[in-house]
Amino acid sequence: MASLAEATTRTEAAERRRVRPLIATLPAVAWLLAFFATPLVIFAVYSLLTNELYAVGTPFTLDAYRDALTSTLNRTLARNSLEVGLSTAAVTVMAGLPIAYWLRFVARRSRIAVLFLIAASMFASYLVRIYAWRTVLGSRGLVNSALDRAGLIDQPLGFLLYSRFAVIVALVHIFLPYVVLVLYAGMGPLGEGLLEAAQDLGAKSSLLWRRVIIPIMAAPAFSAFVFVFILSAADYVTPQFLGGKDGVTLGVQIQQNFVGVGNWPLASATSFLMLLAFVAVFAVGSFILRRLKLNDIRLSS
Amino acid sequence: MQGRRAPVPTAITIAALLFLFVPLAIVVLFSFNSTGSLTFPFAGFSTRWYHQIIESVAFRDAVVNSAFVGAVVALSTLVLGTLAAYGLTRASTRLRTPIAVLLFLPLTLPGLFLGLSLLVLFSRVEVNLSLGTVMIAHMVYVLPYYLLIAVAALQRLDPALEEAGADLGANAWLVFRRVTLPQVWPVLLAAALLAFALSFDEFIITFFVIGPDSTLPLFIFSTLRRTVDPSVNAISSLLLVITLALFAIAFVLTLRGSRTSGLSIETEPIGSAAR
Repeated sequence: MASLAEATTRTEAAERRRVRPLIATLPAVAWLLAFFATPLVIFAVYSLLTNELYAVGTPFTLDAYRDALTSTLNRTLARNSLEVGLSTAAVTVMAGLPIAYWLRFVARRSRIAVLFLIAASMFASYLVRIYAWRTVLGSRGLVNSALDRAGLIDQPLGFLLYSRFAVIVALVHIFLPYVVLVLYAGMGPLGEGLLEAAQDLGAKSSLLWRRVIIPIMAAPAFSAFVFVFILSAADYVTPQFLGGKDGVTLGVQIQQNFVGVGNWPLASATSFLMLLAFVAVFAVGSFILRRLKLNDIRLSS
Repeated sequence: MQGRRAPVPTAITIAALLFLFVPLAIVVLFSFNSTGSLTFPFAGFSTRWYHQIIESVAFRDAVVNSAFVGAVVALSTLVLGTLAAYGLTRASTRLRTPIAVLLFLPLTLPGLFLGLSLLVLFSRVEVNLSLGTVMIAHMVYVLPYYLLIAVAALQRLDPALEEAGADLGANAWLVFRRVTLPQVWPVLLAAALLAFALSFDEFIITFFVIGPDSTLPLFIFSTLRRTVDPSVNAISSLLLVITLALFAIAFVLTLRGSRTSGLSIETEPIGSAAR
């Protein structure tokens, strides 16, 4: 009997050892419940209330959702946001893959230096980068004056700045470092032996990418794509400075509705419709990955 | 296998580095331009824009506010984040997953929504907007980034050392202080510096929750909106130097940290240790 009691206390002690460390997460959990979850819930409730100009009141109504969905302006801006988000995500992932590959398999002594530069540029100020692109793409900026001096143009190219193009360029500049680091980390399971084996079996470089690298990188590339898509589609500062007329996005409109117009339910309803769209993009993407059986390729390296 | 020949990835990497750094270099270059012109050609060398901004009281106030907010945010995140990372890596129960999801979720929420939600909360409970509300917001924003680094560092440690400490009769706090902390402190310090840098540069959320005060990014925002003011180049260059210096220190600390815990990022990509 004594040994049974002893065994029970021992499993209880083991159980305690497995669960007890979670207590250490409590302050952070409490913080996020108070200042992340709670505000989101209140903000969601606002979307169901009546607009009272910089305030909200009862009765509960779906008017804000109806207004958000029927506005033709919103529809145009949503399309702009979608285009900006998809283009930024596509460009960063497509450029990020070969860079991550280079860091993992090509680089020798320069790897640490290049990793340092790419990660450092992630911390270069957000506003400064927007400003830098305004300087570079301006009518007398670096690009136009170089083209002019080369004799390629007589008139500065106006579409460079204050356009959707400028917004996408700046957002790619902002998010490329994140994507490279995520993809580089994702290349972990891609062992050196695997590439060699494929090559020994006669795989050409294009086949190697198609059959080995891209399938393994599908899941991390998808995470990076969704991350960039969400954050760039909802950006409201870059379009304000670089967007001009055709680069205005839904994020700018939400901010204007809240701060400028004071229609809080409308701003809230538009925000949650946008979040819903993000979840939909994520769900469709995961579904496709699962269908192609690319969602969970694991290799022991 | 290392050093296989690959002209296309090499070219793309070089192009990306130019793309990332040339625009920033141009801002720094023009901060030393002797005329107010923001266009080529470059007129001549001068430090007049730096003199001009350093004399500006509004600029100095903004810098002091940003540094104050950043320091409070970094220190609180260091405490809150280290505890949370320790709990996440040392517990093994089903409850772990929902907690981890909550702690990392702010990463995926755009700053616009976080800023608006917090503004609504503060107006609901009638808290006046101030640097205090900015700190609250920044701690939500910075925590998951801190956790990414801290969790990876704590996961990498050899559990045998902590078990040995516990078997020798040390309580959890003593094991943490004498066994765990000595192995990871450089990385945790680096993560706290990055938390400071993220807070120092944060604009998207800050815009909604700041009230009457100003921070450096808000000062830059209003300067950018007003006119084409050539002193923006000097302000931007200073901000770049500050954040990049913080990052460089953090990078060196991380290299040191991975060396003391017996791992080298020279052979292991960052994420592979987390598996």
